[in-house]
Amino acid sequence: MTTSIPGPELPQVLSVRGVSKAFGAVQALSDVSVDCRAGEVHALVGENGSGKSTLLGIASGSVAPDDGHVEIGGRALVRHTPAAARRLGVGIAYQDYSHVLGLSVAENLFLAVPPEVRPAYRRMEQWAAETLATFKLDIAASATAASLSLADRQLLEVGKALLTRPKVLLLDEPTTALGPDAVEQLHTLVLEQVQAGVGVLYVSHRLPEVLAVADRVTVLRDGVGQGTFDAAKVSEDALVALMIGRPLTVAFPDRDPLPEQAEVVLELSGLQGDRFGPVDLVVRKGEILGIAGAEGNGQVPFLRALAGIEPATGGASCGGVQFDRRSPAGPLRAGVVLLSGDRRGEALFPVLSVRANATIQVLRRLGRGGIVPRRAERSAIASLVQRLRVRMASTEQPIQSLSGGNQQKVSLIRPFLRGDVKVILAEEPTQGVDVGARFDIYEALRAKADEGVATVVKSSDPIELAGICDRVVVMSRGRIVQEIPRHELGERRIVEAIVGSRASVANKTAEASAP
Amino acid sequence: MKRGFLPLVLMTTLIVALGAYAEVHSSVFLSKSNLNSLLLQSMPLIIVSFGQAVALLVGGFDVSVAALMTMCVVVASFTLTPTTTGLAIVPGVLAVVGVGIGAGVCNAFLIRVLQLPSIVATLGTLSVLEGLSLLLRSYPQGPINTNVTGKLVTSVGFVPVAFAGVVILAALADGWLYRSRSGLALRGVGLDARSSRRLGMPTSLVVVLAFVVCSLMASFAGFYLAAEVQVGSPIIGNQALESIAAAVLGGASLAGGKGSFFGTLLAAFFLTEIDNVLPLFQEPAEYADMTIGVLILLALVLYQAPELVERLRGARRRVGSGRVAQGEAPG
Repeated sequence: MTTSIPGPELPQVLSVRGVSKAFGAVQALSDVSVDCRAGEVHALVGENGSGKSTLLGIASGSVAPDDGHVEIGGRALVRHTPAAARRLGVGIAYQDYSHVLGLSVAENLFLAVPPEVRPAYRRMEQWAAETLATFKLDIAASATAASLSLADRQLLEVGKALLTRPKVLLLDEPTTALGPDAVEQLHTLVLEQVQAGVGVLYVSHRLPEVLAVADRVTVLRDGVGQGTFDAAKVSEDALVALMIGRPLTVAFPDRDPLPEQAEVVLELSGLQGDRFGPVDLVVRKGEILGIAGAEGNGQVPFLRALAGIEPATGGASCGGVQFDRRSPAGPLRAGVVLLSGDRRGEALFPVLSVRANATIQVLRRLGRGGIVPRRAERSAIASLVQRLRVRMASTEQPIQSLSGGNQQKVSLIRPFLRGDVKVILAEEPTQGVDVGARFDIYEALRAKADEGVATVVKSSDPIELAGICDRVVVMSRGRIVQEIPRHELGERRIVEAIVGSRASVANKTAEASAP
Repeated sequence: MKRGFLPLVLMTTLIVALGAYAEVHSSVFLSKSNLNSLLLQSMPLIIVSFGQAVALLVGGFDVSVAALMTMCVVVASFTLTPTTTGLAIVPGVLAVVGVGIGAGVCNAFLIRVLQLPSIVATLGTLSVLEGLSLLLRSYPQGPINTNVTGKLVTSVGFVPVAFAGVVILAALADGWLYRSRSGLALRGVGLDARSSRRLGMPTSLVVVLAFVVCSLMASFAGFYLAAEVQVGSPIIGNQALESIAAAVLGGASLAGGKGSFFGTLLAAFFLTEIDNVLPLFQEPAEYADMTIGVLILLALVLYQAPELVERLRGARRRVGSGRVAQGEAPG
């Protein structure tokens, strides 16, 4: 491995040229180019879903591009597999890790190290302890990976990527579980590598953190490159302006201002689970509260804990009464309904008909003596199907033959049918939904709110949150870090809160930055 | 590894306990001839269970092994007839082994390339192999060369040489599995294929090899089955579930990534011991099946006891906090 001297003619260790990638109908990347020189930190920033992870996937060989090519250390990546990219000199720290949880830390390190520098098997434990010490990681080599805290798993992931002695190091959101001290520790480790001539492509949504160490920064928006800038000369404001500003393609229903002191429906005090909390929150009657944040900051576990799917401690009351969260049945009895973001896996029965999917929670009410007349089911849903504009040939059609948007509308029929719903928890309600159907879904949510339901919407789309919510809270590292009132709501305001440029988050990393 | 010894201890205890019980009630159990026949009787199951353990290690099943063993016996009745002598034996043996490798490649193709769940893929192979065996021999016929099979069952004292061989093989295989990089890689792929792929391991190759090895072992087991029945019978192999039982009793996890060849050997021997002992008491064979079923359930509970205890504790904690929360509720 060559140690390069910093200068203008540094060799390129990674060159991604004109890559495009589509997943189904979604164009994740179109004609994006980015490069990384030896000895520099190149930051890659963008909103959720702007294509950052896809780009890293292509650079690391786990995603094959539809078009364009990748060069690592001057050599073309021909076979798009992680093993091939590793051989050429790519080290990657995945956002969701590459640990084998059933094995020990030492065994995980041993599997990650390339054959040239691999120690003898019997020396594994000792070698692993030494390796951890050189990375200044306070982790026991004999501990199983499953027993590590999320922060330690994240640091170990970076350590594993470094073991391959990479020419280019790809970091995908490496600080989502780290506190300020651990972020500083990580940055020190990364900057040591940079000094030694490694190029780093650093994906993060935390602008202050990443700008503290970056030399250059590239912005992605909707899978399109928005330019590459000198990190020292570009302001956070300018970057945020490049990250936002997608054309507005969908309208939002009108909102009436909430009455001053609307009755509190959902009240949480110190709700805390494995990956989030403690959270204190109040949602009022008729209010739509948005939850914003970069992916993986505890938003989904938080909603699932409220719905009784994941364990959590602390108090949660609905209409002033604490509800039982040991299983999903408790929250449902209390009138708390989750619309899961995993429609196929959790929300719907794909092979059952539209009718069966809509009425499955209210069969007892519709039935007489244990027998449910089809007629009763059909008349119950007929008006709702029209009102939500569900497009289909017949209510007997299997729901999997409907488009994503129409599937979501059917799952929204359920809270309308129940009548006893007090809280709706909607996770990514318009994910995979075509633009035409979005308005219908927003309108349905607003209609339920106007009936007095308190609604919590978790969405990765700031435009959507700004358009439908009465108030938005931003989650980071599992906690609510900012609350944005109605009169301040806007895409820019939400994105700024997510990237932390206005947040009062302690930012000690500036001291660790390179000269 | 410490907890990995539990299956070994449990299986050894059961073997000794059942043996002692049998000896007390019928003095023939510990006779040299019975021990020799018991050890030989256990050979097919031990060998095929080794293969099954490999499939389980990568997180799969192979339910086609018994049908493959039968197929191998049937093929041997054509390629290793009593008139086969000298060098002609070599292609005869290779034909049987080739059938095993062919079935393994076929299974691996279905599982890896067509992405079928292993249990479904091997169920399909099972039916095809059963059909083929019946096509080739519709009833037991075609004697198999006893000169060849006789060599397989050579014994020193009451111990078959081959049994000593599988004991050594099991010890070596366990050493490899828990003391080498490639053994660790195999366990890694079984525990978490996605992470293993990300770490640059050839996960597809590992799974393909595992299923080929599994079928290859089944064909070796087929030779010992042939030595036992000595005729091309299309309806003899019933070791599919027993081989899974042996691997699981020996410490394999159905979720992949865990297992012990020595444990598998002991468990396979124990399962054969049950079959061997019951006739001594004139007990019907149905009891053997029931005993095996109950034992598997007990062993699984016992092996997972630490996790179960942990889960129960967690559940109690959650229930406790739930009660507190309810107590706070007004009204």
